[in-house]
Amino acid sequence: MVAAADSDSTLAGKGGAVTVRAPVPLFRKPSVLPGFGLTLGFTLSYLSCIVLVPLAALIVRSSGLGWSGFWSAVTTPRVLAAFEVSFGLSFAAALTNALFGFLVAWVLVRYDFPGKRLVDALVDLPFALPTAVAGIALSALYAPNGWLGKPLNELFGLKVAFTPLGIAIALTFIGLPFVVRTVQPILQDLPPEEEEAAASLGASRLQTFRSVILPAILPALVTGFALSFARGVGEYGSVIFIAGNMPGLTEILPLLIVIKLEQYDYAGAAAVGTAMLAVSFVMLLILNLLQHWMRSRHAR
Amino acid sequence: MAIQVSGITKRFNDFTALDSVDLEVKSGELLALLGPSGSGKTTLLRIMAGLESPDGGGLLLNGEEALGLKPRDRQVGFVFQHYALFRHMTVFDNVAFGLKVRPRGERPGSAEIKRRVTELLELVQLSPFAGRYPAQLSGGQRQRVALARALAIEPKVLLLDEPFGALDAKVRKELRRWLRKLHDDIHITSVFVTHDQEEALELADRVVVMNQGRIEQIGTPAEVYDHPASAFVYEFLGQVNRFDCTVEGGIARVGDGALAIPAQGGVQGPAVAYVRPHDLGVTPASAGPARISGIHVVGPDARIDIDLAGLTLEAEMDRERLATLGIVAGDRCAIHIDRARVFAR
Repeated sequence: MVAAADSDSTLAGKGGAVTVRAPVPLFRKPSVLPGFGLTLGFTLSYLSCIVLVPLAALIVRSSGLGWSGFWSAVTTPRVLAAFEVSFGLSFAAALTNALFGFLVAWVLVRYDFPGKRLVDALVDLPFALPTAVAGIALSALYAPNGWLGKPLNELFGLKVAFTPLGIAIALTFIGLPFVVRTVQPILQDLPPEEEEAAASLGASRLQTFRSVILPAILPALVTGFALSFARGVGEYGSVIFIAGNMPGLTEILPLLIVIKLEQYDYAGAAAVGTAMLAVSFVMLLILNLLQHWMRSRHAR
Repeated sequence: MAIQVSGITKRFNDFTALDSVDLEVKSGELLALLGPSGSGKTTLLRIMAGLESPDGGGLLLNGEEALGLKPRDRQVGFVFQHYALFRHMTVFDNVAFGLKVRPRGERPGSAEIKRRVTELLELVQLSPFAGRYPAQLSGGQRQRVALARALAIEPKVLLLDEPFGALDAKVRKELRRWLRKLHDDIHITSVFVTHDQEEALELADRVVVMNQGRIEQIGTPAEVYDHPASAFVYEFLGQVNRFDCTVEGGIARVGDGALAIPAQGGVQGPAVAYVRPHDLGVTPASAGPARISGIHVVGPDARIDIDLAGLTLEAEMDRERLATLGIVAGDRCAIHIDRARVFAR
């Protein structure tokens, strides 16, 4: 009792009121920038409407099948083969783009030549062109009697259209700008002094490239790769014309989903979509973590 | 001599960066290339390193023709104004870089590399920072890493491009002293570029003053300061008062006779006279020709602005002397000139 009375009196003695601090919101650091609550609220609702709700609907739709129904829907040989085609070829195309897209960016940044602006603008064309147009153009070009398809077939016995190779070419076409446009600005901002320093320290051009230039642009290159890869997995229009669409061989996942929809198998389509979403998410997450690790090594 | 530059010329489009420059750098000396921006000093340094190729002329490094050599074959250590450290490498790896990129036969073993890098980091007093990245160091520390990295390849010549240019005044001064001491210890032939005359005069064995792609004067710091070869050198090396004057019989008359200065150098006719602020004496005189228009106290010194018949002059003295004279802004005074240099106009 006495103790309680004592503590009361001390509280009263300190001015009668106990100042209550406003609860500090979690994750929030004091900042001079106003509008944190408003902008975060808006961002979250916007993201929910545009991205999360549709994706959630997809998952809800597929959940109608139940766990075993879902599992059997996505593990049929045809679906598994399509998974392999879609992810495998997108990966190959993204890898090709990482290499040659880097080369294009390098040439555009490092050298001056007549028509450079034109080439620079050309890089963006795959962004702008309707993908179906690209698909038709590519399949006409690489068909067994096409301009490129015919000599390739006659000289090397190489069939491009209606084979996995054709799909890879279409995916490379649409993914190229992603790598070029992510690497280009980084390459542009690379200080020439670091390369000069490497040269005066006795490094060859190859050594300079490997240990000075490449580490600096690798994060951007991985971003470009990831974007190109993600785009490839979701690509539909340009692929279906050149693919031939043989089930189990050149059938891509998006096409398989459309086929299932046409057969009124909505739950099956949603199940394949959900599985695709999961795989894509995991792969992009890994790429992001990889990038974070690379940046954290030196950008401190 | 360690470096011989003969008739080096370099043009960038219409701009002549170097106009037939001849220069000898002696073995083991610390030489400063001093000049305003655009004087060609950095271009000359980059040509020595092979980072720029001249339009004409010759370059000998230790007696060997060097213009045909690539930067990597010149055995030249280069230190950049903005450090140019490899951002994604630790301090250790930065310093080790020059050793690690050597061809297989000449490359020291990893234990030997570790020993040499540790030694160099001790030399630049950065041993505790071996595992850090450049972004985690201060400017002065980064420049010392850059220096250790350049020294790692055991260069025959060390070239430094405005090595203290990006540092603040205090660090700059410390690092300057430290570099001088380092040079006295290892005696590597060094050339550094600067636009700061104080830096050049304090640090260098010899100073090369450059202007508009040409060398104005070469000499020890005392020589170039005390006996400037041209009006440009005089004006560039420190604060000056400049008078347009006419010299007749050893006396330079300024304006309509407001000031008469004893002229050295045997110039006759129209000329320019230069007086350093600390050579300009001031005495209070109520009927004097000049007026004190302002007094600025900077640390131990005082700078006095004087108005003399429309001319603005600057005098400099220590604060004790100022207190003895007891002058304040607005007073009239007489001025006398102890020393002046006169160049023909």
